[in-house]
Amino acid sequence: MPRPTSFGKDTGLQLRMTLTMFLLGLVYVVLIVALLGAGASGVTVALIAGGFALFQLFGSDKLALRAMGAREVTPAEAPELHAMIDRLCVQADLPKPKVAVADTRMPNAFALGRGPKSATVCATTGIMDLLSPAELEGVMAHELTHVANRDVLVMTLASFFATIAAYIVQFGFFFGGGGDDDDNPSFMILFLVSIGVYIVSFFLMQALSRYREFAADRGAALITGRPSALASALTRISSGMQRIPQQDLRATQELAAFYIFPPGVGKSIGAIFATHPPMEKRIAALQRLEMQLQGTA
Amino acid sequence: MGLFDILTGKRKMKAPAESRLFAMSTAAVTLEMTLELRSSGKAAIVFQPLATADFSAIVNDMEEVLRGTGEDTGTQVERTDDSFGYRWMVLSDDDFEDLVVGINVVSQALQDGGYGERILCAVFAFRDAQDQPVYWIYNYKRGSYYPFVPAGGEQRRDSERELRLKAQIGHELPVEPELERWFPLWGIPI
Repeated sequence: MPRPTSFGKDTGLQLRMTLTMFLLGLVYVVLIVALLGAGASGVTVALIAGGFALFQLFGSDKLALRAMGAREVTPAEAPELHAMIDRLCVQADLPKPKVAVADTRMPNAFALGRGPKSATVCATTGIMDLLSPAELEGVMAHELTHVANRDVLVMTLASFFATIAAYIVQFGFFFGGGGDDDDNPSFMILFLVSIGVYIVSFFLMQALSRYREFAADRGAALITGRPSALASALTRISSGMQRIPQQDLRATQELAAFYIFPPGVGKSIGAIFATHPPMEKRIAALQRLEMQLQGTA
Repeated sequence: MGLFDILTGKRKMKAPAESRLFAMSTAAVTLEMTLELRSSGKAAIVFQPLATADFSAIVNDMEEVLRGTGEDTGTQVERTDDSFGYRWMVLSDDDFEDLVVGINVVSQALQDGGYGERILCAVFAFRDAQDQPVYWIYNYKRGSYYPFVPAGGEQRRDSERELRLKAQIGHELPVEPELERWFPLWGIPI
């Protein structure tokens, strides 16, 4: 009995993600209308933010790597990591990304770059020591799925108008307070709309980020055919993370969205604020995949 | 992947491309006649063994078929697992044509069982005039071959030789056009 694939579809995840992006687009349309309504100052802000977004997309990789204390490694320096990624790339039908290693005890991994041709995947020395080869393979497959799904590009674009709204909220007083603009009602409206857009888009983006984590976990399971290995890696990383002091983690918050596991997740942070889904849910999703694979679902 | 697939983060494993595996049967003649590359009498197919009951059943059935036909053709089958968790089915036969057919039996069995996307690659081993190994690796997902020549020493490959081989073989083999996809495979046991 020929079967088309080893895993079924996850239509629910696709639907939730599409709905989130639709809502985000809707919120942004409101902001665009307000920006245009505000005239010259609104368009200026949009242009400046656009410039920043482009810079982020094209120039931030090296900065981010340096901020993490990571550096690119040659196949001779990290033969096993390279060989592992070579094989995963064949399976995922991806060109080979740059491979970097960060010398830190924090067990983590992340992907950078706007598309498969310009991507970098990075693992910390901590994660390479902590995980078994099969578990590390699952984690690297997760990062390669981020690359294949162009998550950096999608999230940068998704956050573009949220960034504009944030600028307007933060610098609203400077713009509004400049001379005769004081009684400019259109700018007042823009300011209020921006606050609304900023708040709503924040929650939508966190949701989008969580869905893309699920998608990356799923992709990793597809590439390796071993959902349980990734699940076991996640449990091991999460217990490893709790042993690390908080000070180390604070400096790395900005990159959190593309980590395999977010640093500094405390119990006090509500689930709705999180860029990553809770561990239990990710493991439950991976276990459903394992059951599909075993034909017991 | 389409735009919508990117937006919704949909990942589908790429199924194997249309098989051009058999291009090696004729190319091997050219390799031997004009380039002095002889078959080492061995070829292998590499795949991820899944820990499921039906996968093991498929692999066992396929191995039995191979051993059965091997009694007529003289093809020997051997299986090993490498340190990356991949399984190698190594076929030995002095008749090169039988090797290609045997590799195809394995990949066909996996594809018919719905596990075609688990295949990593097939490897054909050759030896040059100095008895140094030269490999041709077949990437099922892309339906293309590429040369791989280890240069001795840790993680060294003879890229110059590989590029020359690509030019020499010309259009007889579908050679992978993107050089960044000429993935090395260290520690090939054949």
